[in-house]
Amino acid sequence: MKTVSFSLNGIVLHWEVSDGETLLTSLRREGYFGVKFGGCEKGECGACTVLLDGKPVNSCSLLTVQVNGKNVQTIEGLGEHPDQGWKKTPGLHPVQQALVESGAIQCGYCTPAFALAAKALLEKNPNPSEDEVREAIAGVLCRCTGYLKPVQAILKAAAKLRGESDEQDWVDDTVFPLPVDWPSGEDEPTVPENESGAPRRQVLTRRKVFMPRMFITPEVRQKTLSRIGKPELKVDAIKLVQGKPAFAADIEKRGMLIAKVLHSPVAHARIKHIDLSKARALPGVAAVLCYKDIPRVVYSTAGQSDPIPGPLDTFSLDSKVRFVGDRVAFVAAETEEIAEQALKLIEVEYEPLPAILDAREAMKPGAPIIHDEPEYVNFGESNPQKNLAAQIHIDIGDVEKGFEEADRIYEAEYVVPKVQQAHIEPHVVVTYWDEDDRLVIRTSTQVPFHVRRILAPVLGLPVKRIRVIKPRIGGGFGGKQEVLIEDVAAHLTIATGRPVMYEYTREEEFIAARSRHPMRIRMKTGVKLDGTITANEMRVLSDTGAYGCHGLTVTGNTGHKSMALYVGDGPYRKSPNIRFYADIVYTNTPPAGAYRGYGVPQGFWPVERHMERISRDLGLDPIAFRLKNAIREGELHPFSTAWSEGREPRPEIIQTVGLEECVRQGKAIIGWDQKFGNPEWHRVPGKPYLRRGIGVALVMQGTAIPYLDMGGASIKMNDDGSFNLLVGATDLGTGSDTVLAQMAAEVLGVPVEDIIVYSSDTDFTPFDKGAYASSTTYISGAAVVKAAEDVAEKIKKRAARMIKERYPNVQISPEEILLEDRKAIAPSGEYVTLEQVALNALHHTDQEQIMGIGSYYSPVSPPPFAAQFAEVTVDVETGQVTVDRLVMAVDSGVIVNPVTASGQIEGGMTQALGYAVCEEMVYDHHGQARERDLVDYHIFRANEMPQLETVFIQTYEPSHPFGVKAVAEIPMDGVAPAVGNAILDACGADVFENPITPERLWRALKAKRQVADH
Amino acid sequence: MIKEYYRPKTVSEAEQLFKRGDNKFVPLGGGSVLSRSKEEDLCVVDLQELGLNQVEVVGHKAILGATVTLQQLIESDSIPIHLKEVIRRSATINIRNQATLGGYVVSTDGRSPLGIALMAMDAVLIWHPNQETQSLGDWFSIRQPRGYWIKGIQFNLNVELAYEQVSRTPMDQPILAVAIARWASGRVRIAIGGFGKSPILVLDGPEDSGLIEAVKNALSDSGDEWASAEYRQAVGEVLVRRMMNKNASDYQG
Repeated sequence: MKTVSFSLNGIVLHWEVSDGETLLTSLRREGYFGVKFGGCEKGECGACTVLLDGKPVNSCSLLTVQVNGKNVQTIEGLGEHPDQGWKKTPGLHPVQQALVESGAIQCGYCTPAFALAAKALLEKNPNPSEDEVREAIAGVLCRCTGYLKPVQAILKAAAKLRGESDEQDWVDDTVFPLPVDWPSGEDEPTVPENESGAPRRQVLTRRKVFMPRMFITPEVRQKTLSRIGKPELKVDAIKLVQGKPAFAADIEKRGMLIAKVLHSPVAHARIKHIDLSKARALPGVAAVLCYKDIPRVVYSTAGQSDPIPGPLDTFSLDSKVRFVGDRVAFVAAETEEIAEQALKLIEVEYEPLPAILDAREAMKPGAPIIHDEPEYVNFGESNPQKNLAAQIHIDIGDVEKGFEEADRIYEAEYVVPKVQQAHIEPHVVVTYWDEDDRLVIRTSTQVPFHVRRILAPVLGLPVKRIRVIKPRIGGGFGGKQEVLIEDVAAHLTIATGRPVMYEYTREEEFIAARSRHPMRIRMKTGVKLDGTITANEMRVLSDTGAYGCHGLTVTGNTGHKSMALYVGDGPYRKSPNIRFYADIVYTNTPPAGAYRGYGVPQGFWPVERHMERISRDLGLDPIAFRLKNAIREGELHPFSTAWSEGREPRPEIIQTVGLEECVRQGKAIIGWDQKFGNPEWHRVPGKPYLRRGIGVALVMQGTAIPYLDMGGASIKMNDDGSFNLLVGATDLGTGSDTVLAQMAAEVLGVPVEDIIVYSSDTDFTPFDKGAYASSTTYISGAAVVKAAEDVAEKIKKRAARMIKERYPNVQISPEEILLEDRKAIAPSGEYVTLEQVALNALHHTDQEQIMGIGSYYSPVSPPPFAAQFAEVTVDVETGQVTVDRLVMAVDSGVIVNPVTASGQIEGGMTQALGYAVCEEMVYDHHGQARERDLVDYHIFRANEMPQLETVFIQTYEPSHPFGVKAVAEIPMDGVAPAVGNAILDACGADVFENPITPERLWRALKAKRQVADH
Repeated sequence: MIKEYYRPKTVSEAEQLFKRGDNKFVPLGGGSVLSRSKEEDLCVVDLQELGLNQVEVVGHKAILGATVTLQQLIESDSIPIHLKEVIRRSATINIRNQATLGGYVVSTDGRSPLGIALMAMDAVLIWHPNQETQSLGDWFSIRQPRGYWIKGIQFNLNVELAYEQVSRTPMDQPILAVAIARWASGRVRIAIGGFGKSPILVLDGPEDSGLIEAVKNALSDSGDEWASAEYRQAVGEVLVRRMMNKNASDYQG
């Protein structure tokens, strides 16, 4: 141990630390929770950034003893809430304020790091360029934002710090116009290009709030709303920008143990012998558990509604391991170091079994059987004897007849990779017994209510003795729609009686968490020479890995969404011919699961690459060809009568389709007509080996699962006329708490700051299925509206009575009362304030607690639509691709909050960009992962981003009280195929497998040359 | 795992630690790699107070102290701009603020851009205590220290450096990287990387004839989980040809 004396946030401290302890560990132990753990080993994520003598460094890779005599600054020393009762403070630092105002905070996990990196930059360089800002924050990975809003925020803060406080001075609309609802068809001026001809980098304004462009349909224009459609600040932004202890791991519990898991080093084996005695004997070890120590309960880790639409094939611990990374034993110890030592002392003898590492081998006769356990519970067509986790056969119309009627048949096979959600906050859970002997599970989950229901039998506890608390979540993207690690900590708490924390490392995220299902997809499409699609067929081989979680529903969505978009034209439009067959097979690789987009990006890679190839072969305009065959308003969703996530399908008419407007606006922004087919534009002067290309993909998603997804909300009124909104919905960084508050505020006639949102806690908040399937704004939002209407009705009744008492001559009925501006107002203008109503209700007359509840499930799943565009530069000699620009025009219905919604689009496009060019998870012939960190698994950094642009096409979806559809998942769908199509446009090379790595493209170019030579 | 940490204030104090020999003493630079070491019972000697963080230029020679950070190099007026760009590609700013040149060189693998560039520039390690010098190529091939710690690294500034890489994204690690250094005398050195445990020296000669063949030969066995040898050979040829053409046009220009 050593005494370290250093200045922390301006205060000299003397800490006793062990020589090998990192600064991150020391800071968090001392309660500086604004310094985040990203699980990485090489300092690649930067979530743990602190300033060391004014410079940003990673505290995870700095020994505490190294900072002896130095100055350290954490986010806790930067700024604070300006108003703390009678005590006033200087408030937030300008950088923090700008991050809040610019919508730069999504999950908020990396926000403290951004704030510190920005502070360091601006102290050194008060007037940085955009590139300098991007470089300064490139040490911090963000998986939510796409970096655009953080960059805008930092430039804005710089302006403020330079004294440019006059709002008028900040407006620079020469290139990026203010949001407009320009008339349909009118072209926007294109973004100027720089001297070299390449598009200019992100052109930034210094407006107070950065609004995306919006096209507003007449239906939307008619609605006069005060809170919906406004860029309200995120309700959790102030706490997140201060680095407050808002996340699951930001908690201190006396006697808390640290959990670790021994993961399998082999892909498929039986545990012949396991000896825990040495590990148990190690001082500081509180418990070591293997399969012999806990009940054998079969379940599914998929965080879905009851009954789980998939097989039950998982145990907390088993005598068999099914992939490298599978669980062998659990350890709880006083420290992380002791827990890791204990893992090394566990002796395991494995009986190796043949492994399946290629999905194509899984169903072959004689293939090893991965699930031979007698407890296996089938769902639907699952058959463990064939390694079949699920199977789907959907025939719509007469597909064979459609092929016969075609002039041409196009067939091709496409491949999509396994990819990781890579949320910066790893999976983390803390469990403990409360004073009532109820098990509390504080976890970073998207599905708190599913966690409670699914874990109850696994732990041998009734649901009523489990409480699940979901604090803030540092990103999820589907990875936390899984009951993945909660059982580990819970078993250990049961075993020891003590609080236990289990937090994944980044390596564990790669070897033992979930991922996107990799697939091989064969397309067969019949087309007439005029471009009419007569029949469309997709056959999928989907690899669910060692367990079947989400296998059926993810793969079902692959067809359900992507194959629904193109129904054909003419008679085929009324009676489309569509086939979707899928085998979802087990392999000895880490299980796949839910990942933003939920199977749909896998579907649109082949569909949109295929459509591009067909249109080019037929000599048709690729966009006109797509629109000719695309589904239109008032038509039946072709899959709605065929499949519904393993449940009974019911017919659904699509009410709003903004696809044509998306195409029109997207084309105008990217300058399609000036570039597509223009040979001059495709060339890069002075660099004959570079070629430019432009591509498009049209996509659709869904909004919630009809007749299934339910969300609940309750609202109660406080003495001052403010309201507590309790929702079971889980804001995983998306801003859903904010948009739900906006909806409540709209109904109740108050500013958003009067709505105090709490989400979510299974003891206190109403049920909600959780954050998935693009459902929160639509489903949970409708529940909030119902609860708010319930409250509003009670307020109006009381207000009418109060107004009559106060103004006896006024004749008024409650229905006539208008709630606005914190008042209940009679048509004649007399009013009472909501505070007066609240005091009257709680203290004065016929006392009651004014509160309301609402719950909602939907009979429909209205699809959002989008046109996604990409511009690329291809090096035709090396195969290297640079994506220069991405544009997305999206019909998401009415946008509740343009800033949070555009943040979703930008972040989604950035994730999808990784899917296009660099992200994949690869295994060797032993099943060992190639990617185990965020170095080899590269996700985009701030200093290598293409230009991102978003435009919202606001249709009015009649099935929702405010006309909304979903926005969260659809940006994932079209970037990869748009990039693939842009590459085809640039150089004529067809790449069938993503990500489009340099070698894959080089091989495609080579193949093209060989064909040309012959 | 680090068992003991020492921060000597003088060189002799540091030497005493290394002389003890009763423990596994290793020098600590910025700690960006070593702080997370899983190696058992390491004793680290932090060099931060030994004054090794100086950037000196003597004639055409740059002498960089071992504890100069990568960011210091980027901000130094003495470092050529092409080398700065390579450094920028080598690590993010957070890591550059912490990682020292000595530590970087010691932990260089085949995918380390700065390691590849320094090898092409024929950088030399200077070891303490005997001022013994060691070429970077020698270090990469045997990884045997010639002293207690690296005191500094030196290279010629009158060398023209060209660096090209192919990667999945602009700031990704290289799949293939080529660095060519040219001296006024006509001497040419070329190093490649993007794979393997260390950068590879392909050629060190008075002229660049045979350069392409040499690169292709060096890449003949370069296939790994990230790219095939066939691809690297073909693209290596492309990159070298471009760099040579560019050099020729720059010369003419």
